[in-house]
Amino acid sequence: MAAIEAHGLAKSFGGRIACRDVSFSVERGEVFGLLGPNGAGKTTTLRMLAGLYAPDAGTATVAGCAIAAGRAGGPALRARVGLLTESPGFYDRLTARENLIYFARLQQARDPARRSDALIERFALRDHAQRPFAELSRGMKQKLAIARALVHEPEVILLDEPTVGLDPEATREVRSLVGELAAEHRTLVLCTHHLEEVERLCSRAAFIAGRLVAVHEIRRENLLRVELAAPFAPDGVRALCHSLRLSGSTLLIEPRVEVPEIVAALVRSGARIASVAPHRDPLEDAWLQLLAEARER
Amino acid sequence: MIGVVIRKELLELRRSPVLLLSMASLPATVVLVPVVLFAWMLHAAPEQTLGFIEELYGVRSAGGTAAGVGLALGRNWLPMFLVLPMFLPILLAAQSIGGERERRTLEPLLATPVSTLTIVVGKSIAALVPAVLITWAAAALFCLGMDAIAGRMLLPDAAWLFGTLVLSPLLALFGNAMAVVVSSRVLDPRAAQNLAATTVLPLLALLAFQLAGRISLGPRFYFALAAGVAAADAALIAAAVRLFDRERLLTRWR
Repeated sequence: MAAIEAHGLAKSFGGRIACRDVSFSVERGEVFGLLGPNGAGKTTTLRMLAGLYAPDAGTATVAGCAIAAGRAGGPALRARVGLLTESPGFYDRLTARENLIYFARLQQARDPARRSDALIERFALRDHAQRPFAELSRGMKQKLAIARALVHEPEVILLDEPTVGLDPEATREVRSLVGELAAEHRTLVLCTHHLEEVERLCSRAAFIAGRLVAVHEIRRENLLRVELAAPFAPDGVRALCHSLRLSGSTLLIEPRVEVPEIVAALVRSGARIASVAPHRDPLEDAWLQLLAEARER
Repeated sequence: MIGVVIRKELLELRRSPVLLLSMASLPATVVLVPVVLFAWMLHAAPEQTLGFIEELYGVRSAGGTAAGVGLALGRNWLPMFLVLPMFLPILLAAQSIGGERERRTLEPLLATPVSTLTIVVGKSIAALVPAVLITWAAAALFCLGMDAIAGRMLLPDAAWLFGTLVLSPLLALFGNAMAVVVSSRVLDPRAAQNLAATTVLPLLALLAFQLAGRISLGPRFYFALAAGVAAADAALIAAAVRLFDRERLLTRWR
């Protein structure tokens, strides 16, 4: 059974439609992306899945708990879901540790103090655990908020814009943390407008722009993209590749050997190389195309 | 779970010196002004003036003019000690929902499995307990001060004991429930505080009429007030829980 099944979720506020026709499923252990521009309805969708909003239409099942039109998920759902909110949202005068233990108790975590200490240790916050929350850096605050989302060992983790507003260093730290969670095969829904985060971490992503536009599967082929400065016949290196595609001045190679070896072989064969880079899933292209199509409709 | 909410609220209060100071300043004024006034009157006012005060408020004491004036002052000032427990929780409770929203802690709080009732009751008790304790401490200091200046035990009399021990907690509950109800509808904490604070105006009016010698509040009035406030408390608590709509609190912005 999927960890999340959403069918035709819709929500509006005072006549303004936040999102409609949102349907997707997330398998257990899958990292799923929710992509969309600001105001596309990503946070609204996440809040419906977290049991904070009741949908106007549609149904969903999250960690085995049902959500229906006019009926938000109840306490059982909220106990099984970990939500990283857009803003960290802690109490300024309480220390980082006190804040985490407070939420661990509210979430009915087993042994709240020990669980909080373990997460503080894991997220490298031990030296700052006794400082008031207000004194923590933005990155530390966000790490603490991620710790809160995990404190009760939820079945489903919903992350709303985990890197928004962070400086590059904090962004890197938080991305690495999310990467660790993904590597642990947690069921994660990552809501973001950063395509690279989705490309790197997610197996699939739903594009939302007021409604569900498409669910896109993210390919992770081990491809090398070689930009050529001059025309070249690649037959001499075929033996070193599982596959090889030449399109204009771009050579897409799935190598059998290490990258330096294939580059050396290309040079020996007379290729004039402008650049070599890993070939990423063309998510951006897909996204822009889908968005343009959605706007036309 | 209610205990978890109460402990957190009290911990936050302990770490808010400005809020503690603002909670202590009103009781200090309410105690000091009449006690100093009483001392000054006994020291400086002519016997004739003291006699006039006794006559105005219809108070006679076997202990002499000083005791009579002390009793008059004590009885007339009691409504102020009923305003205190009503007003003090408003300072805390009006911040409870709007404050959480302003600090952006409301969404993570509502994302936990904790019930609405637990949040409302926990926050209410955390606002009530300090208010009632401060009121009791202020009442004790007031009575001790008046007795010391009069040189005999004037207060607390029966009305004072009933007022502080029975009416104060009921009024504190009323002020708090009113603040939670207002705070659930008016999400700006300052506006909620101002609006909830208007509930003390009827009591202040009673105080003004009594000080002017127009009315004399006796035991029957205080008993009736207690019964009325207890009924209002029950209705307001039910309303506070009903009005605490999780989704609405997150989506409303004014």
